Amino acid sequence: MRTKSDHEMAETVSRRRSVMLIGLGALLLAGQPLYFANDGIPAAQLKTVAWLGWSLVLLAALAWAGGNFFGGSVRALVEDEIAVANRARACAAGFWAAMLVAIGLYGFSLFDNLKGRESIHLVVTAGIGIALLRFGLLERRALHDA
Amino acid sequence: MPEGLANVLREIRAERDLTQAALAELVGVSRKTINTVENGIFVPSTLVALRIARALGRPVEEIFRLDDPAG
Repeated sequence: MRTKSDHEMAETVSRRRSVMLIGLGALLLAGQPLYFANDGIPAAQLKTVAWLGWSLVLLAALAWAGGNFFGGSVRALVEDEIAVANRARACAAGFWAAMLVAIGLYGFSLFDNLKGRESIHLVVTAGIGIALLRFGLLERRALHDA
Repeated sequence: MPEGLANVLREIRAERDLTQAALAELVGVSRKTINTVENGIFVPSTLVALRIARALGRPVEEIFRLDDPAG
């Protein structure tokens, strides 16, 4: 049985979500050197499948995470106007990051052979990672007491 | 204030001795919404502005105004 009111629960969920989003975004971006490291392990397929699954999970977190398990009224409070606006701004930031990386890779391809899969990996990672970070930071700012 | 919207929400809330959380419950929004509106981070929808005004028993134009010389 829950002892907190819907509003208290929404506050807690919002705070946890903002920390989680920042953590996931940072983890995704910071993990790239590891992904591209040539560790000699013939695990390219495994890495690809793992990244595919991880990306889908993070994309779902970006789109839907927020009070899903606490009922409609808590979810409505967590997903309020400011959260919707923050998510839209975060997705815009992710779009710009993805576009800049894509353009950069296109230019880089003049000097080096890029694999299609790695290029897509970088574009998608930049888009999702920056969007997660931006959403988390905007939510943190919104929750912060003046 | 963004987009030229000023408000005296914090002052009216203080007059009523309400916390952000208490006002949020009265309005039916999150504390985050009250906080961002008060601090000028977020311009609320007409619906939320009207709900805030109703909860405080004030006309909406007493709480929100255009932040320009003609406002």
